[in-house]
Amino acid sequence: MTEEGRKITYPLDSGSYRLLYEVGSGVSAVVYKATCLPLNSAVVAIKAIDLERSRANLDDVRREAKAMALLSHPNILQAHCSFTVNSHLWVVMPFMAAGSLHSIISSLFPDGLPEPSIAIVLKEILHALSYLHDQGHIHRDIKAGNILVDSDGTIKLADFGVSASIYESHPSSSSTSSSSSFFNDMAGTPYWMAPEVIHSHVGYGIKADIWSFGITALELAHGRPPLSHLPLSKSLMMRITSRLRLEDAHEQCAKENDKKKKKKKFSKAFKEMVASCLSQDPSKRPSADKLLRHPFFKNCKSPDYFVKNVLQAVPTVEERFKERRIAGGHPDEADSGGSASPPVKNRRVSGWNFNEDVFKLDPVYPEEIEDKCAIKCIQLSGDELSNGDQEGNEESKVEEEDLAKKAILKESLVPNLVSLLSSLELQRGMVMDVLAHCGCKDGQDEKVREQREQQLLGYVRSLQQTVDDLNLQLQREMKRNRELEEALDRLRRKSSEEQQRAISTS
Amino acid sequence: MKGLFKSKPRTPADVVRQMRDLLIYVDLNWNSQEAKREEKMAELNKNIREMKSILYGNSEAEPLSEACAQLTQEFFKGNTLRLLIVCLPKLNLEARKDATQVVANLQRQQVHSRLIASDYLEANKDLLDLLVSGYENMDIALHYGAMLRECIRHQSIARYVLESENMRKFFNSIQLPNFDIASDASATFKELLTRHKSTVAEFLSKNYDWFFKEFNSKLLESPNYITRRQAVKLLGDTLLDRSNSAVMVRYVSSKDNLMILMNLLRETSKNIQIEAFHVFKLFVANQNKPQEIVSILVTNRNKLLRLLSDFKTDKEDEQFEADKAQVIKEIAAL
Repeated sequence: MTEEGRKITYPLDSGSYRLLYEVGSGVSAVVYKATCLPLNSAVVAIKAIDLERSRANLDDVRREAKAMALLSHPNILQAHCSFTVNSHLWVVMPFMAAGSLHSIISSLFPDGLPEPSIAIVLKEILHALSYLHDQGHIHRDIKAGNILVDSDGTIKLADFGVSASIYESHPSSSSTSSSSSFFNDMAGTPYWMAPEVIHSHVGYGIKADIWSFGITALELAHGRPPLSHLPLSKSLMMRITSRLRLEDAHEQCAKENDKKKKKKKFSKAFKEMVASCLSQDPSKRPSADKLLRHPFFKNCKSPDYFVKNVLQAVPTVEERFKERRIAGGHPDEADSGGSASPPVKNRRVSGWNFNEDVFKLDPVYPEEIEDKCAIKCIQLSGDELSNGDQEGNEESKVEEEDLAKKAILKESLVPNLVSLLSSLELQRGMVMDVLAHCGCKDGQDEKVREQREQQLLGYVRSLQQTVDDLNLQLQREMKRNRELEEALDRLRRKSSEEQQRAISTS
Repeated sequence: MKGLFKSKPRTPADVVRQMRDLLIYVDLNWNSQEAKREEKMAELNKNIREMKSILYGNSEAEPLSEACAQLTQEFFKGNTLRLLIVCLPKLNLEARKDATQVVANLQRQQVHSRLIASDYLEANKDLLDLLVSGYENMDIALHYGAMLRECIRHQSIARYVLESENMRKFFNSIQLPNFDIASDASATFKELLTRHKSTVAEFLSKNYDWFFKEFNSKLLESPNYITRRQAVKLLGDTLLDRSNSAVMVRYVSSKDNLMILMNLLRETSKNIQIEAFHVFKLFVANQNKPQEIVSILVTNRNKLLRLLSDFKTDKEDEQFEADKAQVIKEIAAL
């Protein structure tokens, strides 16, 4: 019980904490390692959520804070406290020194963890899930990136940004009485999502977490979730997941592994366990409690084993985060519902670097900048026509500086778009490849094959569409860029004339 | 033969009765022997959990309406709700959560098509005072807060809370440093001011003076960012509700209110600016603007027009743009 934990009261003001350094960041949150001064400089992690950013819906933030405050389980990351600092919310949490499993895998085990270590992790997570589900909570975002590890091998499930309680009535549905056990909004991260979550009109329950748990098992085994090399489009995922069977996932992963090196062997118990989680029919997926009794977890080793075999080789969180920075990763571009741990966030959508580009195109931010640019352009040409009285002059100088900044931004945007385009093309090739492979499997009757061919055509068409759209966008961007450059030139000329005039008059 | 030795299954009413007895025991014998108390507590937790699964169903079964009705009837027949609320601080975290969910569910249970929870609360209004005071105790604030929000689903109960002294306490609870509790309090405050339209309209017109004085000075002018942001959003939602139109007209005729909103328009926070605009536009749109409002608007015309012309939402918002154009037109024409 928490009476124990509550004895330590963490102070509710920013002055009591000293931020040491950043260990992770995302669009709307930064995670710091920090010390709490009044408590003998105890080490903590502080997640600073920027409430001003559009994604940080206050109701979601409140729900996350409440979930974290009311859950108490050794395998669930709990917040010590939370308070606001200007327009930021600081969530003070235990510091998990080894970071997320996603970051551990990507830095040291790109092809996945060995099976005994996987068993240890999954077992701990099942304990957490069993507790959550018993409480009527659905986590809705189970994945390696949300599994945090401490240096002593403690494993905790984190990130309740999207979790929901089936007991909590939602304001929107508050008129009806008992309809609150299903959710219809999209939440979670697509590659880990259960089919019924993607088909969100059906509604889903705690079994969606079991699906994501199964995908996470595959992620730990192979270093990334199945199908993660496919582009992230809801419609595409919808169709693919509707016929995703474990064999497909396995074969496919095995195939990829073949290319790199020898085929990985997993025990029958493991395969069986994962297969049961990935049943299309949610009611056929076992509960977390039932999974804990699965033979796969019978001879599960202790966390010590995990410390010796996995953690010892792993650099600390801060080292890893620094490395990323140096390697030119843009942690700032990462998506963040916010977990306590760092590099993870970049890859919220898995280890497919295409997605990082996508995030740069995240509609909210860049668009705003572009709009402003366009307006400035118009104002500018107006200014020029109306000729320079003193005031207009000063203004345009300020704007000139602004414009220069924007132009630089443009320059960085265009290459990104180009690379996005080529990466899309690459992906199309890969999808064709996979689909061709699927289509050629023997023992399938004509109908199925025909259907698949239809689907294949559909995919190709939708991809083609995306490529075309992006092409168009690129054209537009380049045009705008040209316009901006011209405007900038005009301004430069104007200001040098000004200067000359100034010199000559003086 | 086997059935002979099986104990008779307990009825939902039995579960409630046993829980009540245990609560009474726990309440009276808090200082009894540790071992004995532990045992009773464990039994109590089990009972509360059993009530929860009768009301919500479990992984094997959906809830049965007949069982729910029985349970509800027995629960409110005795003084169980009072006992449960009073004893809540003595329960452990899991039992507190279960109890909160039970209480929440019971508010919606009908017996002979009556919400008997509402009748019970009307006869025991002091319980609501107790729930509101929960915001002063960190350990139970979130549990009492969640119960309170369920109780004010009943219109008569919401009216009681609105018109009681409790309403003044919210202005402080909303600004507590602990974010979990402050945001829970502000969720309840919002629910009180938006859920039952006619009651809210009546409350606001009767209590206009003190309420908006507090609202302006404590919330809209709070040093705390999140308090200001939530307050200005709530103000907009409230004033724009048709049932509050009389209050709205009164609010937008005041020079002091206008000045506060104009200061919020100047904030660095985009979210606050936009919410402030949705209230500010009402001052401008008012067709019978008092002279002092007009003169403030005229004095600041250039600054306002400049501010508004730079004003953009992150996402494209046609309604916002239309409102903005209208406001600009009105101000320019003054």
